[in-house]
Amino acid sequence: MSVADAELKQKIEELIAANPVLLFMKGTPEAPRCGFSMRVVQVLDSLDVEYGAIDVLPVLQPLREVTAEISDWQTFPQLYVNGELLGGADIVEEMFDSGELAEALGAEQPETVAPAAAAPPAQSPPLQIE
Amino acid sequence: MAADLAEIERMIEAALPGASVAVADETGTGDHLRATVSAPQFEGLPRIAQHRLVKAAVKERFDDGTIHALSVKTELPG
Repeated sequence: MSVADAELKQKIEELIAANPVLLFMKGTPEAPRCGFSMRVVQVLDSLDVEYGAIDVLPVLQPLREVTAEISDWQTFPQLYVNGELLGGADIVEEMFDSGELAEALGAEQPETVAPAAAAPPAQSPPLQIE
Repeated sequence: MAADLAEIERMIEAALPGASVAVADETGTGDHLRATVSAPQFEGLPRIAQHRLVKAAVKERFDDGTIHALSVKTELPG
C-alpha cells in the first residue's frame, strides 16, 4: 500500500470513528449519482436520522482498496453505523423494511409507505454497473 | 459472456454446504444476477457477513468479468 493510500486509510478510519452514521455514496445526498446510493439516502431521510455523507466518486479506486482492507467490501454505497459496516443498498433496504434499521439507528420507524413506493424521480438515475 | 446460472448456484452451494440457492438473471444480460440463499452457516451472523460469504463463493466469476453485479438476499433455513 502506498504512502498516499495509507494516509487515506487513516483518514477514512478516523471519519468512521467520528461519525456514528456515515454513508459512503456516489454523489451527494442532494444529488445522488447512482440509483443504489439514492435508495440509501431515501431510507435515511425517511428515518430522519443525522448522518455524514462522503462522495466517493472523486477518489473511487483508492477508496475501493481502502474499504476492502477496512471492511472487506468494495462496492458503494456503504453505510457505517457505530464504526461497523452495516451494508450496501440491499441490506439497508431489507433492514429498513423489517424495522431493524430504525432499531439500529435509534430512530422511529415511519408509518408511511417505504421509500421505494414514494414518487419516482423525474429523471431516472444513471445506470449503475457494479 | 453471460454467466452460467447453474454454475453460480453450484459455486455457492459448494461454499455453503446444506444451503438452498436460487440464482436469477436480473436484467436478461447474464451479468447482473440475483442470488437468494438460505444457509445454516448464516446463523448468528450479521447480514453483511452473510453477504460476504455468498460473494466470496463466486469471487472468481467477478474477477474474470463474467458477473458485474450480484444482488444477494439471505435467509436462515426455516
